[in-house]
Amino acid sequence: MEPQGIALRMTAYPRENSGELAAFERIMSQCERRVLRVALRLLSNPQDAQDAAQEVFLRLYKHLAHLDQTRGYEPWLYRVTVNVCRDTARVRRRSVALEDVPDLVAPQPDAYHDAARAQQREIIRRGLSCLGEKERAALVLRDVEGLSTREVAGILDSSENTVRSQICSARLKLRDFTGRLLRRRS
Amino acid sequence: MSCLKFVNDIALYAGGDLPAGRIGRIESHLAECPDCRALAEELRASRVLLGELRDEPLEDAMVAHVRQRVMAEVRAATRQPSRLYWKLALAATLALLAVLMRPRPHPAKKVLAHSVGAPRATAGSHAAQTVVPVARKSRHRYHRAPAAAQPGPPLLVQFVTDDPNIVIYWLVNPKTQGG
Repeated sequence: MEPQGIALRMTAYPRENSGELAAFERIMSQCERRVLRVALRLLSNPQDAQDAAQEVFLRLYKHLAHLDQTRGYEPWLYRVTVNVCRDTARVRRRSVALEDVPDLVAPQPDAYHDAARAQQREIIRRGLSCLGEKERAALVLRDVEGLSTREVAGILDSSENTVRSQICSARLKLRDFTGRLLRRRS
Repeated sequence: MSCLKFVNDIALYAGGDLPAGRIGRIESHLAECPDCRALAEELRASRVLLGELRDEPLEDAMVAHVRQRVMAEVRAATRQPSRLYWKLALAATLALLAVLMRPRPHPAKKVLAHSVGAPRATAGSHAAQTVVPVARKSRHRYHRAPAAAQPGPPLLVQFVTDDPNIVIYWLVNPKTQGG
């Protein structure tokens, strides 16, 4: 006698033993450095950046099935990274004033570039951390990551004119910061 | 200072973000203003430095640490069914119990039912018939009783989990009417 059947599907999300985990690991290995780098530039703190990157990838895993693969994961990842970093920064509320920046007397050795160049980059890095969060996000995406103004506007959910205004202001502030720092040292 | 009105456009021009319609005006001004040329050069230089930040190597240990933490959390989450999972399981169990424990016909109906097609011999059975107010309805039910008395097909409740290796079967042996 054939039993009558009722099938009740109980979904435990996310699923293991499926291709999803493998796909997730693959995407993560492709994007982890980029996400971590952006988080590091936006937060200026390695520990906060690692926490933020972890949160970004957990969100990626949660939403992996719903993402439009044809559009690529990068814009989504950038957007989530910026949002997570913004939330993290609001919680931590770290700001760096010019007075807090230590003198860079001893050049920091860099395996790949000369010491002077490394020191200039360090100044720029510190200058970035002095910018407001929106200007910093726009500048990091445009000038560090090399995205187009349109892409940055899409990621920040903003208009191209607003992004132009933010990066213009950020570049001038950064130049002012580096000038002041160099004058103080000289 | 007349150059102030050019500063914002120079900042955009240095990064290649100035709309095409405004480039000519800025280039003309830069050609005749050494201070603004210097500003444009400084902005270009800092932009190059920003671009170099992108190529700075990240510590492998930092990357590995993030990966390790993410994968640990993902694996822990997949081993532990979500709250939704338990809610669904509870709802399914309650629904099943509601089906199995639904009210059965009153035993008095059986007394009446036995009288269908059979001689009403005893006063006792007749008395039972008069007591039951749902006699007509019960009679109809009992007409199907001989067939229902046969054990019906067992009801198979299948809980399909996301793990293809785990399928929970619940075989329910339906009771006969009134039994």
